[in-house]
Amino acid sequence: MREITLSQAVNEAIAEEMRRDETVFVIGEDVAEAGTPFKILSGLVEEFGTERIIDTPIAEPGFMGMAVGAAMTGARPIVDLMFGDFLYLVMDQLCNQAAKTHYMSGGKLNVPLVLRTNLGATRRSAAQHSQSLHALVAHIPGLKVALPSSAFEAKGLLKTAIRDNNPVVIFEDKLMYQDKALVPEEEYLIPFGEANILREGSDVTLIGTSSMRQVCEKAAELLAGDGISAEVIDPRTIVPLDEATILNSVRKTSRAVVVDEGHQSYGVTAEIAARISEKAFYRLDAPVIRMGAMDVPVPFSPALEDLTVPTPEAVAENARKIVTGALVHAL
Amino acid sequence: MPFEVKVPQLGMNQDSAVIVTWVKTAGDAVAEGDVLFEVETDKATMEVEAQAAGYLAGIRAREGDDVPVGDVIALIVESADEVGARAEAAPVVEAPDQVRGAAGEADAEAETKASPAPEPEPATEPAAAPAPASASILAPRPLPAPMTGKVLASPKARRLAAERGIDLAALRAQGVAEPIHAADLSKASTGGQSTLTATADGTALDALLAKAGDHANRAHLLAAFAAGAWRALFGAEDVGIAIRHLDGSSETLSNPDRGGTGEAAPALQLIDLCNTRLSGYAPATGPALTVARAGDGYALSLTVSEATLPMPHAVALLDDIAARIDDPIRQFL
Repeated sequence: MREITLSQAVNEAIAEEMRRDETVFVIGEDVAEAGTPFKILSGLVEEFGTERIIDTPIAEPGFMGMAVGAAMTGARPIVDLMFGDFLYLVMDQLCNQAAKTHYMSGGKLNVPLVLRTNLGATRRSAAQHSQSLHALVAHIPGLKVALPSSAFEAKGLLKTAIRDNNPVVIFEDKLMYQDKALVPEEEYLIPFGEANILREGSDVTLIGTSSMRQVCEKAAELLAGDGISAEVIDPRTIVPLDEATILNSVRKTSRAVVVDEGHQSYGVTAEIAARISEKAFYRLDAPVIRMGAMDVPVPFSPALEDLTVPTPEAVAENARKIVTGALVHAL
Repeated sequence: MPFEVKVPQLGMNQDSAVIVTWVKTAGDAVAEGDVLFEVETDKATMEVEAQAAGYLAGIRAREGDDVPVGDVIALIVESADEVGARAEAAPVVEAPDQVRGAAGEADAEAETKASPAPEPEPATEPAAAPAPASASILAPRPLPAPMTGKVLASPKARRLAAERGIDLAALRAQGVAEPIHAADLSKASTGGQSTLTATADGTALDALLAKAGDHANRAHLLAAFAAGAWRALFGAEDVGIAIRHLDGSSETLSNPDRGGTGEAAPALQLIDLCNTRLSGYAPATGPALTVARAGDGYALSLTVSEATLPMPHAVALLDDIAARIDDPIRQFL
């Protein structure tokens, strides 16, 4: 095993799958020579050429539509959407076309397409380049949604996504591209719908998606200092969601804090918290706590931006409250 | 002797209750435990059951009436024949006036306005005589009943409490802070003894004992007071009192407040310390009542495990026993 960055892990996953399957290609803005603004795809155009690493004009609806058509007719496109915020531009192609084609064609057509994009605030990119919009697409039946939480997950989940016969949206945290993790040199896949228990605990379950996994792990460290044993779970994919692992954990701990970087209202935290409340109700010894990003446009002011996302201290504080039996949001 | 149906006290700060529905109507045969009517308080709607068997008669409160706690709103008579007499004696029409009258204002006005009322009213008096008459002289102070509002508890605590037969309201009454969590449930089974103390005026009881002369048996009289208070508070059918004598012997009295009939397991121990210099004694197992002399009066102490007799119940019990010693006539109310 060696340590590589999340950026390198994504690059490796794409290169391996393109070598394995010649129908796989990449399409998007600045993907070839530039290798994306984050330099994730650097080197791919040299190996695979401009026929398979396709630079497009600044026209997201156009190249997304082309990719959906290519997928219907036998190719396996990887669409590179430079910022998750640009999802709004491709909603029709993604949600009305890609998500529904298999269903509406009576199973005659498949859309084996991967939409790679990103999420995450605190990069000082202001309100139109900092959003975490995965809940928007998780709401649409027909789309799978993966949220890698480290280089290891980024590679394994992306390879699974490319091989999936359905449209998959994969969100990388743009703050994590240079973060390193242990990644095997040999090939591996991470199946969808299998959560990862990163730390076992008995007092409270911390569920963290994407980079909120690290926030939860740090919170668990802080809690351990107080003698509180926290279990940390990374769902890895929110569609499909590994409900069983989450419920089993909450049945053991009786308490849960759900942390995700999307806006809190009507978000991923709300969905997971609701499933826990519904299906583990009689095991709960405290209200399930949701911690999402503040319901505001992401501020450009660094001081304010940092206040909008969950921190390890805030997660630990909420966990401490429910473990000690403090009254939370009562009456 | 007809049994009086009263408006129950359902909450700590409840002065009155609204009669929502009469489930039984005048003339219906009722068995003990049958639901007679539903009342609504600030916190809840509750069914009220018959405490005696017989026939419902003399209903004095209509649906929708807001009636003060403790007011007699109907009678349960022994035979069907008595129903008619009671019904005439206390016509339903009359109820609102009576109820309003209790609120204090415009008593006379109400009577003059309700022209048919004066006639039947005298007839009710003899029937319901003991309660209203004595109530005016010796109205028992209304004691707060244990709080019945919903207990704030986690779903897990609620489930485990149900599985283990733990009463969450009793746990709260023991002083366990809300919200109650799973870990708090262990507090239900543990906990030692708590002792409550009270003093009572001895004048009336001493006079009664002096009058009885050689037949006077203070311990038996105290046992009757204790049994009477227990029965009144908890609605028990049979109440046994175990008197622990100072020579080490003990004797169990069944229903000493009702002439010692029947067989009842002891609910309470009684220790009479009046002939000693002791001022109190807290036994290892309760509930136990000790009575000692304190000047001209009596010093009472009640030792209980709050897990079995929550604090509000214990307070109500000791207060009632002390009140009966203050004024033995209460024993006959």
